[in-house]
Amino acid sequence: MYSVILTELGISVFKDEKLEKVFPFKDSVRDYISVKKKESRLIDLVDYLRSLQRGVTTSDESLLILLKKNSIDAQIMEESQLEKIQATKPQIIVDSGFAQNLADALTKLREFAMGLSSSKVTEVSESPDLHIIQAINSLDEIDKISNALSSRLREWYGLHFPELDNIIDSINGYAQIVLAGKRESLTKKVYEDAGFPDSKAEMISLIASKSRGGDISDVNLAIVQSIAKQILDFHDLRKKLEDHVESEMQTIAPNITVILGAAVGARILGRAGSLKKLASMPASTIQIIGAEKALFRSLKTGAQPPKHGLLFQHAMVHAAPRWQRGKIARAIAAKAAIAARVDVYGEGINKTLLEKLNIRVDEIGKKYENPTEKETSRPESFRRDEGGDSRRREGGFRREGGDSRRREGGDSRRREGSDSRGDSRRREGSDSRGDSRREGGFRREGGFRREGGDSRRREGSDSRGDSRREGGFRSEGGDSRRREGGFRSEGGDSRRREGGFRRDGGDSRGDSRREGGFRSEGSDSRRREGSDSRGDSRREGGFRREGSDSRGDSRREGGFRSEGSDSRRREGSDSRGDSRREGGFRREGSDSRGDSRREGSDTKRAGKNYRERTDSKLNKNKKRKKVERR
Amino acid sequence: MKEDNLEFFWIDSEGEKKLATRNLVVGNQVYKEKLITKRGTEYRLWDPFRSKLAAAIMNGLEIFPFKNKSTVLYLGVSTGTTVSHISDIVGPDGMIFGVEHASRVARDFLDRVASHRKNIIPILQDARRPKEYFSVFGKVDVVYVDIAQPDQTTIAIENCKMYLKKEGYFFLVIKTRSIDVTKSPKRIIEEEIEKMEVYFEILQVIDLLPYDKDHAMVIAKFLN
Repeated sequence: MYSVILTELGISVFKDEKLEKVFPFKDSVRDYISVKKKESRLIDLVDYLRSLQRGVTTSDESLLILLKKNSIDAQIMEESQLEKIQATKPQIIVDSGFAQNLADALTKLREFAMGLSSSKVTEVSESPDLHIIQAINSLDEIDKISNALSSRLREWYGLHFPELDNIIDSINGYAQIVLAGKRESLTKKVYEDAGFPDSKAEMISLIASKSRGGDISDVNLAIVQSIAKQILDFHDLRKKLEDHVESEMQTIAPNITVILGAAVGARILGRAGSLKKLASMPASTIQIIGAEKALFRSLKTGAQPPKHGLLFQHAMVHAAPRWQRGKIARAIAAKAAIAARVDVYGEGINKTLLEKLNIRVDEIGKKYENPTEKETSRPESFRRDEGGDSRRREGGFRREGGDSRRREGGDSRRREGSDSRGDSRRREGSDSRGDSRREGGFRREGGFRREGGDSRRREGSDSRGDSRREGGFRSEGGDSRRREGGFRSEGGDSRRREGGFRRDGGDSRGDSRREGGFRSEGSDSRRREGSDSRGDSRREGGFRREGSDSRGDSRREGGFRSEGSDSRRREGSDSRGDSRREGGFRREGSDSRGDSRREGSDTKRAGKNYRERTDSKLNKNKKRKKVERR
Repeated sequence: MKEDNLEFFWIDSEGEKKLATRNLVVGNQVYKEKLITKRGTEYRLWDPFRSKLAAAIMNGLEIFPFKNKSTVLYLGVSTGTTVSHISDIVGPDGMIFGVEHASRVARDFLDRVASHRKNIIPILQDARRPKEYFSVFGKVDVVYVDIAQPDQTTIAIENCKMYLKKEGYFFLVIKTRSIDVTKSPKRIIEEEIEKMEVYFEILQVIDLLPYDKDHAMVIAKFLN
């Protein structure tokens, strides 16, 4: 039996373990690839095997197909034989005369691997879609840079000619005027060259003569002018890039360009990594590309999933009414996925794609002309409710009665797992991963409690059943801490007391006598919120009362307390006081502030109050301050 | 770990004992790590924040099968930070088959590491198809897997079946966040270990905190 063995350096033909003939590769990398790609002709080998008039076995599947193509009776070798070849490859190479000795064979194998790997890198780097990705990324970066430079230019030149800022909107025109020099040297011609109509030019020269700006030295002016020059250059470059992306997308991904448009298509391509990767993506992934944060939050907490990511920039999605956007984004993503596949594996432009998309979008427009009822109760936009939705949903459960409430609570805890709470929590919050890593050690002490507090919030603010467990009870501590600020600084004891109190429910108000009536008031009002979904103001009412109360308390308890309330006045965020006490918490501050905002969203199903609070946190703080002063 | 073992060293630098390997290619820096010469030998500091194997050593790795003349199959070499140190350890008579699929990082790997170190054979292939590796021969002593895929354990086991010696060692970096973000890291690690237990004897599981978050290293012995 003849066996044909493909090695990295050539093809050898053995007969019963004895070498019969070798066909060394001239250029091992190129020839090996062409065999693997089944493009090789292998004329010498085929002629030789034909002359044998015998069936052969081969070690490689590509080689097998090639031989069969040339009508040679070939079979793949047995598994054990293949393994033997694999194990003794350097020896085979030496036996075939491709290398002098084993060491030489190893060197040659390594050289081959280097060559093949390099050629693969080169091959990938040549693909045009990577260049589009670079182009669209640099376009976005240039936008960022020139925006920053523009506002700097307006600031700087504004010292000299402050009125100009308000008159001229386009940064291009502004930069051109700056290039002309000082206020005095501005002539009509400058304005005309910058493309302003006569009326505007006259107005500018009039204002220029009465400007309140100070003089600018030549040295400073020169620098300001070179900034202006840069901005104009960036403007040109941006235009070039835009045209380039447009034309490249037309040639490389015509179907995607038709469905998504050049810019959005290129950005999505950039996120996917390459055209091929995009083509292998499901439509659902394309739909939420760019909204990864929201997606993972949704996966972790059960919040509403994002409707669109980068696709939001698509004109159809953008222009549609809010309640239709998700549906339209889905339709577009579905077509975009097909378009990407046509671009990679098919040919030419598929016109039906766009037609069908348009039909579908029209259909959505008609069918969902009016916002559905569910939608109207939603807060303004997805971004702002920050995972509040799940809570809202659970809120619904809660209202159904105590049983379901308890189940809910248990559920969410199980899902989260007590150990992982910390991470997931913080990640989904506004601060970055790096942060949470840095916090390392502290998570064990304070963090857990906070995390607990969080899950508690998810469970709903009054699932008292949970306080049975340590975790739940601690979480109450965390929870109320966030809401009630100052009192937290009392330390663990009072918290535990708190827990006990909660367990009993609001009725046992007497329990909290030390902290004053406020505690029960707080929880009371909260509970009422739960059921009648009352707004912010109510809770804040409770809050405020607490505030003043706890300050009263602080008189009794000393420094701590006053610290707490102090920080609240400054921050409106309750974790500040904590940061003072435990150290290292400060970084957390922003996080928990975000939390408290989200927490706000939970009970505030009445959208109005909710907006009031989230939209203007400043306002909220002001309000609080006022009340505290009172 | 003893100080005078042959694989890696503890070097005084900036008042601390730091992990290092003896530089195989004198003067060659891979990732801007510090080079320190002591008694005529050049050492490269091994940063546990950059290399998970170093992190595992810092966190109490008990078995270190990378020896002089070892052969290693390394999946997911990336830019070659860890590989360069293993290359130092196995020495000129050892062999490392470095598999990487992404061409962007492979570019850096070829430039910085593979072209300078004669004991590394770079393989640009998808680790999902171990049959298509080129230039690999024989069975290796250690398989080291550091790939960010949801099915990384399955991929790793397939590779071990093809290329790992009997009683060979298997290092698997479990990236819990790459497997499933919704599950707790602990549970993922347990599940992955369960998959491995069919073919391996689990020797040690190391949490890589504080060097890497939500990462664990599993060290196992091949039974098959």
